[in-house]
Amino acid sequence: MTATARTRGPVLAVLPMIQRQARRIASSILLGGLALVLLENLVRSPGQFVSVLLLGITLGSIYALVAIGYTLVYGIIELINFAHGDVFMWGTMVTVTLSAHWIGLDGSQAWYVTVPLVAGTLLAAMAFCGTMNVTIERFAYRPLRNAPKLAPLITAIGMSFILQNLALAIYGPREQSANNIFPTNVLFDVGGIPYRAKSLLVVLISIPVLAALVYLVRSTRQGKAMRAVAQDNDAARMMGIDVDRTIAFTFLLAGALAGAGGLMFVMFQTSTRYDLGFQLGLFAFTAAVLGGIGNLTGAWLGAMTIGLIQAFNEGLEHHVPGSSWTQSVIFAILILVLVFRPQGILGEPESDRA
Amino acid sequence: MSEAILEAHAVRKEFGGLVAVSDIDFDVPRGGIVSLIGPNGAGKTTFFNMLTGAYTPTSGQVTFDGREIIGLPAHAITQLGVGRTFQNIRLFQTMSSVENVLVGMHCRMKGGIFGSILRTPRVRREERQAHDRALELLRYCGLHQRVDEEYAMNLSYGDQRRLEVARALGTDPKLLLLDEPTAGMNPQESADFTAFVGRLREELKLSVLMIEHDMKVVMGVSDRVTVLDRGEKIAEGAPAEIQRNERVIEAYLGSGAAGQAGAAS
Amino acid sequence: MTARLADLWYQLPWAVRRVVVPAIAVAALVLYPKYMSNLPSQFPEMSTAVVMCVFIVMALGLNVVVGYAGLLDLGYVAFYAAGAYVAGWFATLQFAPHVHHLWAVGVPSDLPGVHVNVWLLMLAVGAAFAALLGVIIGLPTLRLRGDYLAIVTLGFGEIIPQAVNNGDNWFGHNVTNGPNGLTPIDQLGFGSAIHNTFGFLPENYRREFDVNNYYYWTGLFLIAVTLFCCIRLRDSRLGRAWVAIREDEIAAAAMGIPLMRTKTLAYAIGAFFGGVAGCFFAIYKSSTFPQDFTLNISIFVLCMVILGGMGNVWGVMLGGAVLAYLNYQGLNSIGRTFNDTFGTSISVPTYSFGIFGTVIVIMMLVRPQGLIPSRRRRAEFAAAEEGVSVGKAVMEE
Repeated sequence: MTATARTRGPVLAVLPMIQRQARRIASSILLGGLALVLLENLVRSPGQFVSVLLLGITLGSIYALVAIGYTLVYGIIELINFAHGDVFMWGTMVTVTLSAHWIGLDGSQAWYVTVPLVAGTLLAAMAFCGTMNVTIERFAYRPLRNAPKLAPLITAIGMSFILQNLALAIYGPREQSANNIFPTNVLFDVGGIPYRAKSLLVVLISIPVLAALVYLVRSTRQGKAMRAVAQDNDAARMMGIDVDRTIAFTFLLAGALAGAGGLMFVMFQTSTRYDLGFQLGLFAFTAAVLGGIGNLTGAWLGAMTIGLIQAFNEGLEHHVPGSSWTQSVIFAILILVLVFRPQGILGEPESDRA
Repeated sequence: MSEAILEAHAVRKEFGGLVAVSDIDFDVPRGGIVSLIGPNGAGKTTFFNMLTGAYTPTSGQVTFDGREIIGLPAHAITQLGVGRTFQNIRLFQTMSSVENVLVGMHCRMKGGIFGSILRTPRVRREERQAHDRALELLRYCGLHQRVDEEYAMNLSYGDQRRLEVARALGTDPKLLLLDEPTAGMNPQESADFTAFVGRLREELKLSVLMIEHDMKVVMGVSDRVTVLDRGEKIAEGAPAEIQRNERVIEAYLGSGAAGQAGAAS
Repeated sequence: MTARLADLWYQLPWAVRRVVVPAIAVAALVLYPKYMSNLPSQFPEMSTAVVMCVFIVMALGLNVVVGYAGLLDLGYVAFYAAGAYVAGWFATLQFAPHVHHLWAVGVPSDLPGVHVNVWLLMLAVGAAFAALLGVIIGLPTLRLRGDYLAIVTLGFGEIIPQAVNNGDNWFGHNVTNGPNGLTPIDQLGFGSAIHNTFGFLPENYRREFDVNNYYYWTGLFLIAVTLFCCIRLRDSRLGRAWVAIREDEIAAAAMGIPLMRTKTLAYAIGAFFGGVAGCFFAIYKSSTFPQDFTLNISIFVLCMVILGGMGNVWGVMLGGAVLAYLNYQGLNSIGRTFNDTFGTSISVPTYSFGIFGTVIVIMMLVRPQGLIPSRRRRAEFAAAEEGVSVGKAVMEE
């Protein structure tokens, strides 16, 4: 028996431990560097830092609504619904059409006129997107439920193209804008940059939505059915759960959330475009993965993180890559998370036993 | 050259809070046939999976042919000479019988990218020899010529089990791990298989470790039987001793049965 | 009459039948530029034909990754871009005022910049660089399971175009010339020495009257080489390992197949051919811009593989030819015909991706195995229909 044979064994046994240490060191360095950059910006231009921070929180809240949709659908049928971002885009389109083109809201009406109309638009957007999502599931994904994983994934991509092109056909390639409907009163000033009421409103709306969802999934019968189907399709069916209906309900929920997110987005950004959905959807998906796919609170947390990262990257002055690198930064995060910590922040590490 | 081809010392496997295998010492003598038995859930397949690199033990050491194998990836352990079959048949369904065995022979062949693209004489010869050897193994394991080119998924259950063994033999193993090889076989087939395992030891000089539930097979061919229950080794010895062992009977049939079984045998 | 012809056909010796049909097909393809003008205008123009060749090579390359090894790759465009930019770096004025020529053909020998022989670039350097990129991307990511791998490759597929677009300022260096791209790129040719010996081999393609024809023939040559390699690999020890991994990783590893190494090889080989295609196309267009490399192209090539018939080289080539044709010429003529017939004025190509999406969805619902599925894929789908699951991913207790 050679010396190498004798020494190789123990070295190999120790290798995973070395890998873990290396990983820990690398992530500490990365996070440390990040903290330093943030600190530098905070110290050198505090006003800008805070306003960018607040922007990030607003963005994050919008992403959260879309990310939760992704995570719900992935959790229940393990499908990355590429069309989800485009459903969100349709939410924005519906909002613009209703509020700006049909109703004609433009911020000049009194609040007791605006609020119910906006609420109505919200319901309409949610209903539209929810229905759209359920229909897509029924006709494009359900027939492929037992097909190899590749088929529904490709179908989702195809649906994404179809949804985009439909919007292009109906609305044309240019931006669609809606005037400020959410109150734009300035709440306070941070370093010269105003923080408007609408930003706060977006955040305030997303919190109860998340709370309601968590309650729904944890405590109601539908929620329990969703969790059962997510864990074991066949067993759930044998327990008398209508799997098809549960999945349809999940899609309805995800679609409605995307619709709500669409309204938030338009209210905040005041404009949209037919190709907005795909990339934004991918950012939201990154958020869902970052937080732990299948985990609701994780989706929210991940979305906040992504929103902040985007805002920091595009808004801070010192030592950030800048807006031409936003896509790369966020996808780099996606890749790093999937490679080094696929369960995300809040997920459980996948055990040996599958 | 030590006596045992496989030695496991204080091997333990925990899944979260559950202890599946609890500090087991175990060995397979060179040229021996050892059976691992025990009620369902005793940890037998978990133990197997640790020997083949599919799972990493929480603690303990395993040496094969003198080499420490913990932490090695599955394919490296196979290359060292451990072949296995699976409890639930895991053949390559859209490959023919011959192709399945050829895959088994992957690590004993050398053809690389350039050799394959250019079909150098060496690669052509290697493929031809491999093909011939695959046919030999198929015949040796009792598969009829007509299923050679048949997709594995179309084979009968018995043939599929035989093919799994043939494929494992393709890896040119020194130790063969068989996971419930006779599950689903009728008594005649089980008897044939028992004889076959003996031949593997006599003719191919293999050491064999089997998980088995069929006591006729276990008693018929094993040199030694080890019994696991709830992750622990509760008995070990010659087949006849194990048959009479009270703890073993209790584990299988529940307490109280020991007295009755003892009276009956 | 046709029955008698059929009888005659089957009476011919098998060897003749095996050679005659392919020979006729090859002849038809090679001679296409000569008789093309006699065909109706719906047939591919020469420029479209060159593009079709490029995509067929890419589809064959991606087929190795997705079809043979079963690895989901949504970022194939990265390798295409790698090949293109190698052409951009080593056959242009980009690195002027350095002057390095290496067996360059068809360019004046005092032209500034680095000029490596374009054949070498196309068949070796660009491809090797792409393959290296494949290994780098593959090493950390190939141990991820199916859909996570898809997302990670998608991530790379999005990052690389953006990085290339910002490449005029990577820490102060202009590497890719950013959105302005790299142009002009040296043309293919055989140089004066060979041209003087074999007159029919042009010195420099650009100087020929029907330059597209020469690129077309070169494209056919590339397809032939790629096809040859793919078929040989498919029927080799490596090809078997890929099928095994695709079906059941655990069993494959238990049979001694090194998973990471084998998967990475598939990735690298697929990347290799992507690099060849990218380099060739960049040389043909004499330019390369970041806008050429979008996520849509990755998906486009993936659809060629899936709709054509994963794992089957003929299906994949058909898928590549059809989709490339439609996108670059077909939709235009269909649109024109449609508008002429119905008196409308819809710009059909604007909706190309919507049409494309509809085709994808319909295909997946109606014939998910693709137009010409491989033997194995047909068997898999037949088994799935009967409810027998093929391949397992779960370790049983």
